[in-house]
Amino acid sequence: MTGTAADVPARQGEKIRCHPSIIVERSLSALVVLAVLATQLGQGAVPAVFALLFVAVVLFNYRQWSRTTVQFNATDVVVERDTLFKMKKTLPYAKMASVNVNRGIVNRVFGTSRLQININSGSGATVPEAVLTFREDVAEEIRAGLAERLCGRETVSEDEPVEPVVTFSPADVIVHGLFSVSTYQTASGFAFLAYSAFQLYTSAGVGGGALVSLLMFFVVQLAPSVSLIFHYYNYRVYRRGDTIHLEHGLIRTYTTSFDVSRINAVRVKRTLAARLLGRSCIEAEVVGLASGSGESLRPVLCLLKDDATQQRLLEELVPEFVDGHARERQPEEAKGVLLVRAAIASLVLVLAAAYPSVYVYRETAAIPGIAGTVLPFALPLATAAAALAICYATYVSYRVTEFGTGADLFSFVNGAVDRETVVMNYDKVQMVRITQGPVARLFGVARGRVYLLSAVGGASVSSGYFAGSRLAAIGETVMERIASGEYDWRKNSV
Amino acid sequence: MSFPGQVNGQAPVDGGSPEPGAGADGYRRLNRKCMLSMYISYAVWYAVLLAAYILTRTYAEGFLSPYYDLIGYAFLLVLAIALVYAAVAPPVFYARYRYRITADRVDVRCGVLFIRHTLVPIERVHQVEITRGPINNLLGLADVTITTAGGEATIRYLEVDEAEKVADRLNSLIGRMLRERMPGAADE
Repeated sequence: MTGTAADVPARQGEKIRCHPSIIVERSLSALVVLAVLATQLGQGAVPAVFALLFVAVVLFNYRQWSRTTVQFNATDVVVERDTLFKMKKTLPYAKMASVNVNRGIVNRVFGTSRLQININSGSGATVPEAVLTFREDVAEEIRAGLAERLCGRETVSEDEPVEPVVTFSPADVIVHGLFSVSTYQTASGFAFLAYSAFQLYTSAGVGGGALVSLLMFFVVQLAPSVSLIFHYYNYRVYRRGDTIHLEHGLIRTYTTSFDVSRINAVRVKRTLAARLLGRSCIEAEVVGLASGSGESLRPVLCLLKDDATQQRLLEELVPEFVDGHARERQPEEAKGVLLVRAAIASLVLVLAAAYPSVYVYRETAAIPGIAGTVLPFALPLATAAAALAICYATYVSYRVTEFGTGADLFSFVNGAVDRETVVMNYDKVQMVRITQGPVARLFGVARGRVYLLSAVGGASVSSGYFAGSRLAAIGETVMERIASGEYDWRKNSV
Repeated sequence: MSFPGQVNGQAPVDGGSPEPGAGADGYRRLNRKCMLSMYISYAVWYAVLLAAYILTRTYAEGFLSPYYDLIGYAFLLVLAIALVYAAVAPPVFYARYRYRITADRVDVRCGVLFIRHTLVPIERVHQVEITRGPINNLLGLADVTITTAGGEATIRYLEVDEAEKVADRLNSLIGRMLRERMPGAADE
């Protein structure tokens, strides 16, 4: 028997179909593309051909919907499509990383939700293995049922209300949207804005250059901030048993949950602006949370909040990633490597800027007025400022870069401008690589790179310059934990 | 290389189990043929670079006019550096390359300018793959790529027989580990 999820609640072993609104959802993009093409090429029989094409797309999507069934069995979910391109996908509960629900505009119109099932896999980590549209209450029922299966040891009832440890106001969301964007991105965004203003000031009207710069400012700075504000609107995070739940979204709403054991690392991030405001945010490296809609895959456990609140939330939400181990700063030898690097970078910069500086000087020296006084020296001055910035960044980098090891966790602190503390669990480390460049060899230090399973598949986290033997302790601790049986493959295998 | 011999003095679970052909420290070296493979590969790339230089010098004067000489000198500098690197890198690579496979880990030390020490716990290995490009095929060499959930490590320029043995050894180690984890394995 095959029912439609619009009127049949999910029962074990029963084959059900997705909500028919999926036909509209899938045909909409074709409608937009064909409508645009029809307006551009709308002569003679072309619109009629496009209309026929659209009908064909709708019929195709109808056939896809009518012949695709979903079956929730005792041990797995089977998605089967019996069309020309047959497909049978079996998703065992044991391999599922997360089951999430999100709702877009079409979903809201039809009262449906998108159920997204992710497998704990590095390959194809950026797209969910199955996206199924059901009536809102059915999707929520299935999600709750699957979440309970995924976290078998769950002791707290899904219906039991949980009070979030920290509440986030709309102002927090706006602050997060504006100041969690990387400083380099913000700087380049404002550089475009400044150039646009300069163009407007120097030319009579709004020229092409000014418009392009303004557009770049929008793309680089404004759009990401607005997107973040929409994405994290109404943000709520709480922990129920061993499952972390996230709820947020203005236009598209997101309900995400994952088991704490799926977290591979926790990142505490502070952009330059956030540090000036005394705020920081927390992100987690969790594989299998893809929504397939291009948003950031790393779940945010805490929006930009004051450092004390962030620390409190970290301790309440993921105490598994808090052990207060001491961290050491880079040894004196690292200073030499960093200085050589800064000197080489500055030299390259000066050499690269030498010819353009002479060219600009020759071209602008004859200009009368203040422009003729300033412009010839603008490039050499900018180069000198950049070289100074490199030196200062080197000094800050030496001062802030840290590395610490504890019994279960280890951490790297990096970032001269945007600071990031990454806390990792030894049992989640996939591979360790220690690298010594020619200069580092001279000073007897090395850099470590730890490979983890991350939200986008594989990812690596780099350390600063430390003694090779000190960094090698990471790999050895991983090996010791495996050999001693301290590492539990049941909890950590992927 | 200044890393301590056994990473931090901690021996692998099987004590390193030196195999035939392995040095006193348990590490194996590559066959000298790896240098020939590298020389051929570098020669091909150098020929491509040289062709690009000749084409630039012959046809690009028109649209590079103000920078033509500058780009020409920069290209020559790159060619000279590449030539020195291509000549020196293979023997250095051969002299430094070491790898070791024990019951619990794969350990690779290699590099010309940047010396890398890669440690992969056998427990984390997902896939083992043997690959041969046309030059390696000609010389009877192969690469073994070890894939984990977080990244890849490669043991390069192994003789084909050795590559097969390495892959077999890794596969049997992974198989043994998985068998031990099967329900009821502990009771046997």
